[in-house]
Parts: sequence; structure tokens; C-alpha cells
Amino acid sequence: MSEVKIEKLCKSYGPVEVLKDINLTVGDGSFVVLVGPSGCGKSTLLRSIAGLEPVNSGNMTIGGRQVNDLPPAQREIAMVFQSYALYPHMDVYNNMAFGLKFAKTPKAEIEARVNEAARILQLEPLLKRRPRELSGGQRQRVAIGRAIVRKPQVFLFDEPLSNLDAALRINTRVEIAKLHKMLKATIVYVTHDQVEAMTLADKIVVMNKGRVEQAGKPLELYYKPNNLFVAGFIGSPAMNFLPAQVKKGGILALSDGQELKAALPSSCKAGDTVTLGFRPEHMTLGGAGKFALTGIIDIIERLGESGFAHVRLPSGHTVVAEVRGDPRTGSGQSAKLTFDADYLHIFNAEGQRLD
Amino acid sequence: MRKSASAIAVHGILILYTALALFPILLVIMNSFKARKAIFGSPLALPTPTTFSLIGYDRVFGDSSIVSYYLNSITVTGGTIFFTLLFGAMAAWALTEYKFRWNTLLALFLAVGIMVPIRLGSVSIIQLIVELNLINTLTALILVYTAQNLPLSIFILSEFIAQIPKDLREAGRCDGLSEYSIFFYIVLPLIRPAMATVAVFTMIPVWNDLWFPLLLAPTGGKQTITLGIQQFLGQYITDWNAVLSALSTAIIPVLILYVIFSRQLIRGLTSGAVK
Amino acid sequence: MADAKAGAGNAIVGMGRGSYAMLLAFFLGPAVVIYTVFSIYPLFATIFNSLYLRQPDGAYLFNGLGNFQTLLTDTTWSVPFWNAFRNNCYFFFIHMLVQNPIGLALAAMLSLPRLRLRATYRTLIFMPTMLSVVIIGFSWQLILSPLWGISKMFLNALGLGFLFAPWLGQESTALITVSLISVWQFVGIPMILIYTALLAIPEELIDAATVDGLNQFQAFVWVKLPLIFPTIGLVSVLTFVNNFNAFDLIYAMKGALAGPNFSADIMGTLFYRTFFGNQLQLGDLSMGSTIATMMFLIILVGVMCYLFLIQRRMQRYSF
Ligand SMILES: Nc1ncnc2c1ncn2[C@@H]1O[C@H](COP(=O)(O)OP(=O)(O)OP(=O)(O)O)[C@@H](O)[C@H]1O
Ligand SMILES: [Mg+2]
Repeated sequence: MSEVKIEKLCKSYGPVEVLKDINLTVGDGSFVVLVGPSGCGKSTLLRSIAGLEPVNSGNMTIGGRQVNDLPPAQREIAMVFQSYALYPHMDVYNNMAFGLKFAKTPKAEIEARVNEAARILQLEPLLKRRPRELSGGQRQRVAIGRAIVRKPQVFLFDEPLSNLDAALRINTRVEIAKLHKMLKATIVYVTHDQVEAMTLADKIVVMNKGRVEQAGKPLELYYKPNNLFVAGFIGSPAMNFLPAQVKKGGILALSDGQELKAALPSSCKAGDTVTLGFRPEHMTLGGAGKFALTGIIDIIERLGESGFAHVRLPSGHTVVAEVRGDPRTGSGQSAKLTFDADYLHIFNAEGQRLD
Repeated sequence: MRKSASAIAVHGILILYTALALFPILLVIMNSFKARKAIFGSPLALPTPTTFSLIGYDRVFGDSSIVSYYLNSITVTGGTIFFTLLFGAMAAWALTEYKFRWNTLLALFLAVGIMVPIRLGSVSIIQLIVELNLINTLTALILVYTAQNLPLSIFILSEFIAQIPKDLREAGRCDGLSEYSIFFYIVLPLIRPAMATVAVFTMIPVWNDLWFPLLLAPTGGKQTITLGIQQFLGQYITDWNAVLSALSTAIIPVLILYVIFSRQLIRGLTSGAVK
Repeated sequence: MADAKAGAGNAIVGMGRGSYAMLLAFFLGPAVVIYTVFSIYPLFATIFNSLYLRQPDGAYLFNGLGNFQTLLTDTTWSVPFWNAFRNNCYFFFIHMLVQNPIGLALAAMLSLPRLRLRATYRTLIFMPTMLSVVIIGFSWQLILSPLWGISKMFLNALGLGFLFAPWLGQESTALITVSLISVWQFVGIPMILIYTALLAIPEELIDAATVDGLNQFQAFVWVKLPLIFPTIGLVSVLTFVNNFNAFDLIYAMKGALAGPNFSADIMGTLFYRTFFGNQLQLGDLSMGSTIATMMFLIILVGVMCYLFLIQRRMQRYSF
């Protein structure tokens, strides 16, 4: 059992509150990814779990054991740093063995574990090298190896792939997914990369300004974002938002007079101001969706197989829609965008989702 | 055309200045290997088989205390370097790594010693050393020199320690190292180059100092080589062979060390000055 | 639940207040103790001593600023003091006017792009700086000695033989001769400091100046010189501190009396003589401390000027 449970965690640097009332459960063997804008507190949360930062209040347990006041080494965690943090003055073998030596692990055991990790990560030929004699990808693998040999209850990763080039990043991403399956490890993972988050995670935690905005399965966040922040954060390009007024009879009126008729959630009352959200990839140019908006095309960004049309509505708002293939329309022409009711998200004035 | 002319001019000036810088040193060394007559007869000539003489050196090393003065200097310089580096690195680590209420104030307190020469407190240093019963001991010199060199050493080492990535220290914590082990097993090995710089840089003024040996250990066989040579020169003032040889005896080892360490020394001087 | 206070003060999880204090004491203790006992305490004790006067019966009595008044106004003390102070100012001006410009010029030449043998020149020119002042002082004493006649030989060769004089022995020239020897020895320090500062200036800036039509000399004066201004400020304050704290060279060449007739006497030698006594007078702890305190104040003023006038307008440093 290596469940991580965090309750009411608060942390501040002087007067600045960095983590505010965080509640989070990381199930045994699950892969949880923390995402959020820069500075929202992801690293701080991860480091608090590791015991590298003291917290102000709250409770943390790992495998049912309260760890609040334990130093990092006694928490049975292992951390993989963004910069890898390999000891420059030790070779690969000793980098991996260092912590075990300090834990007074018997020599034979150390050797067995390091060799096992080296085998899994294909580091065997590199064991005698110093970190500076390794490529970025190899260093990354050593950093992971150092975590593996500790046999921790929980692995903590802070943007481990951000220093790798695009191709290597995809490779390593797949490797990490495999490793997770093989070790049945519990992992908490911080990233900026949406694709990483969506592909790796069992559960994504979206953070903003020190709070958890929403935690859930990747597709749950995608299809049912709890609030405007999550809706805008998950998905790329970002979801379109338009302000609208609820009228009698399930009519949503945009500020330029265009109207959509939808089956509104019961909590919607006539006269409410709401925000409508729909994703670019769910809209089509022309087409026959239930809802339609018209506007003038500002520009079409063409990427080859698809593209993005930026359409200016009469109200002045710009809406982005994905277009497939190579549409013959172009800038300045008028366009009709359509989409389906399933893909319409409605948020109330406080930014909360209405269902 | 103009380019090469100005290049030649620059080299000309530099060569002239280099000659000016080296001439007195070479002159002394050269003449120390000559007989008295040749020293005065042809001071600018290299020693030849006929003028060659080691009589001055006989006199210098005949005074057996010169050797023990060398040992004193080595002990004092070595001890000072050891304590300056060890205590300096420890303090630098604590000041950069740990938060505590007096951190900034303490750093400022230590910085005072970079600018204010410790010599100004000499009167009280002597009283203190007398009270501690350390007069005419090498310990007194080591203590005073360590106090004198700690501030700059802490300052330089702090800069290097601050450059060690935070992740690395935290990896150590995750690996189960105590704070003490992090310092001794991770930080110390990583700042070795900086320590070499500080070492070379501490060594020179300590080795060359005249003031504190004169005040704290002027007699009793505990003189450093600099003071010892000074006293020797005073004694043999009219014996030119002995004087020149004594000077050379003091110059040559420093020159050899300088040639070996000049790169580090100059790096040390510059890193110490980048404020 | 973690205690909020502990969380704020101590950055290490799982370490109690006691062991955190132990940790700090372990790392900071030795340095702070040695530094405080052998550097800061003596400094303050000296200032403290300067406020006391020795009575005929050997007791020390509080005398307020009386010692300073004696030093500055009583002719027994004020004449040597002002003499040493004036000489020390000359000593400093000669360094500022000779040592630092030469250092700057050498550094400028050494930092020229594509200069060959750069490291060799640098190493050799720096060499005298490495040697003990005692050695340098004595070597120059020999070279300038009429007995050996080397300097006379050189002047004769240049047709300037009539200029020769026992410079070190004459009241009118002793100070300037000693100062120039000191300049000769320490020119390496401004040279190295300025040289490094010059190397740190990106080549593109000079290229840009060249494109703007400046020649190499103009580029140096208008682009590089302003950029190394902080270093020149630093060199000046280092020179100031070292000069007002100097002792070794004059003591080695001229002895504690800094003769002839105190013409080469500076603060350092005056302090030494006063505190230890010599053929002419007995040692005096109070007045020695008073002179040391004056030196401290002078240096403090210099450093403060530097910090407030120069450093403040430039990049500040902190630990
Ligand atoms: N030592 C510190 N002192 C004061 N504030 C800090 C400190 N470390 C981090 N912060 C602040 O805490 C907040 C959260 O930082 P954190 O590093 O957790 O962000 P992050 O989500 O990991 O960002 P990024 O994605 O850029 O890595 C930031 O606003 C940061 O400025
Ligand atoms: Mg981060």
C-alpha cells in the first residue's frame, strides 16, 4: 500500500500563501500529474510531499504513515529533478548507489539493485562514466535510475522531460509509461506539457494560484471542466468563450444578437449572464451542427492536414475553429461555424460549470 | 602596415616594462652566485666559472635557524590555509543555505573584515595573545591570520556555493544524507577549485607578512622566514655575499611556487575582486 | 500538525529547534568565534583603549577624547602625527598618479585582441607583487646604494649620470623613492583587476564602436573606460586602504624611525614606534591605540566614500 493522502495542506513563504488548502489523494499505483500555469505552486506541492519544504499546516500520509515531520530520507520517496541533480563528482554507479550507502544497505544488495536498475534503463555500459560525459537523455535515465534503486513508495517527478529535445521527449515519455506499468509504482509528476499530462496520467490535478481547481481523469477534465479556468487550461488551442444572456424559452443571446436555442440546465434562469465555451476542434466551417454562428474570417493558419480559422463575430469577439484539409475560403470572407449541443459548455457568472 | 607598427610598439613597451619588473630580482639572484669581487666589479655579468661562488649560501645555511624559519613559515601558512578553508567553507555554507534570523546581519558583520585591516587592532591583539600565553608561538600567528583571511574566504566561497544547484543539495537530502554529510560529501568536493583559488590567495600575504611575526613571535626561534631574513639582513648588513644569498633564498622558492600556481593565483585575485 | 512557527523559521523538515541550532553552531561557530576574538574584539578594544590615559602610577583612567586632543594639538604629538599623515597622503597620491595609470595602461595593452605572449607578460609583470616587501625593499636598497653603483652605472649609460644621488638617504627624496618602489612592486594588482574587467567586456561592443567609426584608442576611451569604472573605483579604494595601512616596506628600508629625520614616516611606522617605543621614547599603549583609531577612522572614511559615492551607483554585492 503506498497511497499518498494530503489534507488541508497550507504553505506560505512569509506573507505569500503559495499553497492554499490542498486536498489530494494519490491512489496506490496510480500516476497523478500536476499541471497549472507557471508559479501556481506545483513544484512547491511536490517538494512538500518530498519533505524538502516545511509546511504551515495540514496533514500528509504516505502508505498510511503520517510523514509531516519526517525528513525526506525517511518518507520512502524518490525524486527526479528537472535538472537531474546528478552528483558531478561521482560516476553513474556511485550516483545511484550513494543514497543506499548512506542507508547502510549491504554491499551485495546495493550492487544487485544498481545493476538491476541499470539493466532496466540500459545504462550498463555507462556505469563508470561521470555525468558530464553523458548526453541529456542518458543523464535523465541515470536520474530515474537513482530513484528506482531506492525502491520508494512514491516517485516524485518535477518536469523531468523539459530539458530534452522534442524527439527524445516523446521516447522518454513512452519509457516512463512502461516503467510505471512494470514497477506498479505510485507517481506524482509535474509537467507543463499537455500531451504528457493527457497520455501519462490516471488522474490530472489542475492547480491555479495555490489551489486545486479540479482533479480527475484526463478525459473528464476535457469533457467536463468544472470551471472556466480548467476549461481554458486543458486543450490546445484553448476553448473559445463567449458571454451570453439567458432568455425565456432556452434561448442564449450573444451580445451581437445572434441566438442559440439549447436545452439549458435547470439551474439556468432567464436573465442570467453566462459564459459559453466550445472547443476549436469541435467546430466546423460550414457543416451541419445544431448551433451556428456567423462572422468574418480574419485569418486562417494552415498547418497542412488541418488549420485554424480565426473568425470575428459581429460582437467583436474572435472565435477559433479547427478546419480540416484546405478550405477554399480565406481572409475577409464570411463564414458559418457550426457545432453540436454535446460540446457546448455553460458557465455561470462565477465561472462554475452549469449542468 | 600601421597595424604591425603599433603591434611592435605595444610589444616594445611591454618588453621594457617586463624587464623593469624582473631586473632587480634577476640582479639579486645572479649576483648571489658570485664572489665578492665580481659582485662589485661586474654586477651585470652572469656568474662565470671563475666568478662563481656559493660562499654567501654557506653563510646563510650555516646559520641553521634559516631552515627552521622555513619550517615555521610552512607551518603557519599551512595551518592558516587549512583553518581558513575549513571554517570559511563551513560558514559560507551555513550563510548561503540556512535561513535564520541573524543571517544578513552576520554576513555584514563578517564583511567588515574584508575592508578593515585587522592590523589596526594590533595593540589589543598583543594583549590578548599575551593573556592567552601564546606569545612567541606559531599558534598565535595561525589564529590571527585565520581571523584575517576568513572574511574574504567566506565571501568567495559563498559565491561558489550559491552556484551549486539547489536540486543537487536536495537530491542529497532525498538520498538520506544528514546536513553535515551534505556539506562534507557533496558541497566540499564540488567547491574544490574555489578552495584551491582561496588557498593560493591566502598563502601569499601570510607567507610575506612582516608585521605580525614582528609583533607576536619576534624571538625564540619562532620567526617566520620573512622576519628571519629581515633579522639576518640586519645582522650581516655589510656582508654582501650573505645578504644577496639570503635574499635569493627567500625569493627562489616563492618564484617556483608562483610559476606553478600563477594561473590559479590570478584567477583568485580576480574572483575575489568581482564584487 | 506542523507548528506554523517552526515552519517559518527553519527550512529543514523533521529537524527540531535544538538540532537546528546545533547545526548552525557547528557550521558558523568556529569562524565566528575566531573572527570575533582575533579581529573584531581587538579592533573595538583598541578604540576603547584610546579613550584611556596611563597615569604615573600605572593605572589607566578614562580620558574621553583627551588623547585625540593631545594627538592633534600638543606639539610633541601633533608634529609627528601631521607629518606622518601628510607623508601618507603623498604616498597615496603617488600610488594613485603613478601606480594606477601604469596598471591601467598595462592592462589595456594586455587586453588587446590577438596579442601574443599575453599570459607570459602578465605572469612576469605580476611577479614582484608576489614577493615579500622585505625582500623587495632590501633589493632596491642594494641597487640604489652608491656603494654598489648599479643605478649610477645606468644613468651614466644614458648620459644622465649627473642626476644620481643617494635618493634613499636624502630628506627631500626618501619618501618619493620609497613610494616609487612600492609602486613598482604593486602595479600588478591594478593591472590584473583592470585587465580582468576589460576581458569581461563583450567583443561586440568594440565591434559596434568600430562600425560607428571609432578607432581603437577612441573605443577604449569612450566605450571600455566607462565600463570599467567600477573596477577603477575598487582599485582606488584598495590602494587607499593598503596605503594608509602600509608599514612593511618603510620599516624594512628605513627602520622604525623612517629617517632621515622622519621624512618617510607614515601612519603605520608612527603607530609602531608609538606603541613599541624606540631609541627616543618609551612605548605608549594609549597613544598607540589612539593613532590606530585615527587610522581606523581615516580608512573608514575612505571606505564609506567608496561605498556611498561609487559603489552605490554601481552594482551592489551581497553574500
Ligand atoms: N523560496 C521561495 N521564497 C518565496 N517565494 C517562493 C519561493 N519559492 C517559490 N516561491 C513562490 O511560490 C510560488 C510557487 O512556486 P513553484 O515553484 O511551486 O511554482 P511552479 O508551479 O512549480 O512553477 P513553474 O511551472 O514555473 O515551475 C511562486 O509564486 C514563487 O514565486
Ligand atoms: Mg516548478
